[in-house]
Amino acid sequence: MTINGDILIKVEDLHKVYHNKLHALDGVSEEILKGEVVVIVGPSGSGKSTFLRSLNLLEVPTSGHVYFEGVDITSKETNIDHHRQKMGMVFQHFNLFPHKTILENITLAPIKLLKKSRAEAESRAMELLKLVGLEAKANSYPSQLSGGQKQRIAIIRSLAMDPDVMLFDEPTSALDPEMVGEVLELMKRLADDGMTMVVVTHEMGFAKEVATRVIFMDEGKIKEQGAPAEFFDHPKDPRLKEFLSKIL
Amino acid sequence: MLQTLQDKFYQNFIKDDHWKYIADGLKVTLQVTFFAVIIGIVLGFLVAIIRSTYDKTGKLKILNVICKVYLTVIRGTPVVVQLLIIYFGIFASVDISKVLVAIMAFGLNSGAYVAEIFRSGIMSIDNGQFEAGRSLGFNYVQTMIHIIMPQAFKNVLPALGNEFIVLLKETSVSGYIALQDLTKGGDIIRSRTYDAMFPLVAVALVYLVMVMIFTKLVNILERRLRNSDH
Repeated sequence: MTINGDILIKVEDLHKVYHNKLHALDGVSEEILKGEVVVIVGPSGSGKSTFLRSLNLLEVPTSGHVYFEGVDITSKETNIDHHRQKMGMVFQHFNLFPHKTILENITLAPIKLLKKSRAEAESRAMELLKLVGLEAKANSYPSQLSGGQKQRIAIIRSLAMDPDVMLFDEPTSALDPEMVGEVLELMKRLADDGMTMVVVTHEMGFAKEVATRVIFMDEGKIKEQGAPAEFFDHPKDPRLKEFLSKIL
Repeated sequence: MLQTLQDKFYQNFIKDDHWKYIADGLKVTLQVTFFAVIIGIVLGFLVAIIRSTYDKTGKLKILNVICKVYLTVIRGTPVVVQLLIIYFGIFASVDISKVLVAIMAFGLNSGAYVAEIFRSGIMSIDNGQFEAGRSLGFNYVQTMIHIIMPQAFKNVLPALGNEFIVLLKETSVSGYIALQDLTKGGDIIRSRTYDAMFPLVAVALVYLVMVMIFTKLVNILERRLRNSDH
């Protein structure tokens, strides 16, 4: 895995204030480099999910800018739908389309948005299904799959768009414990292949092993960040020390 | 006893081709229902789209207000009164086919109910589905068409079928504007033979059979759509 120093996502002074005056993001500035695997941790309500969802504007920030591949996607003139094709996203609750087969779930966006032929999209989908060992499920419906299988399908559904970055919003939080491993293993393989990833998770083992950088968020701010070894072994921020002492 | 029944049957249906009142009335009823259903679906669909787009994005504010007024007025007044206002009020000085007026009135009325059925269907789809679509790069309209609508439609099919059964039966008030529908046809026979039971029970049976056929069709469609999930 190589981090070649190119900035993929740049966030400038991001603020998000909800109607109830809750300050979910309080001036976050950050850069994500190509090839990085950035894991964001923090207590619930720290703004980490809001931050992640701001990166592809599922959450529209109150103020501040998000640049993706040099383009200000928070600008009104930008066609966000076009840029989202290059930003894969994986959700806590999978969000597979229940009315479509697994194969259709994977090929829908490539056919409709990338204008791939059905044959082309399906052969790519089968490749991806083989990658996760679920090619036998191609014609099943999501309801026939286990949680771990659903999440792996959700990941390759995003991969079918050939994204430049993958965003993971607590991808294992809704899974039974015995299914967490298979999803993390796939994510690790993606990371090894050089995919740029931003991951919000509570899986500290994954952060330690796979992350190139770990960010700690609290009260809508980035309180501390660093390489995993330094981050976990020598935390400086008192809130981070307290947080780590509770979960490790 | 049997003889009197036979006599009555002859009097009410065979003599002077009385059965034609039923047959012609049925034709009118089916005509009005069919086209009113189409207007109801189109209108209801549009209103539902406008309302849920406003709910989700805050756009289309003025259209949303218009839709709300439409829903309130239509659902807040009896369909007979609406029919009378349209025929004797709005088209008072226009020579217009009664069938057309009935189609308009019932279509306009049904649209309001269909709109709320569709809207509840759209709102019942988990927001995660919407977000998954948008995150893949689909725009709002594409997400609606490919992801939300197919699921919403499946969810509301029973309610939609029910609404059309109600509509079919509601057209029986068409007689108020002297349109000779099925009910009116039976009533004309009654006024000629002075026998209420035979013609009116016959009319009731025709409605019943139509409703049963329609229910069956909806069930088949529902089953075909359902074999995908759950």
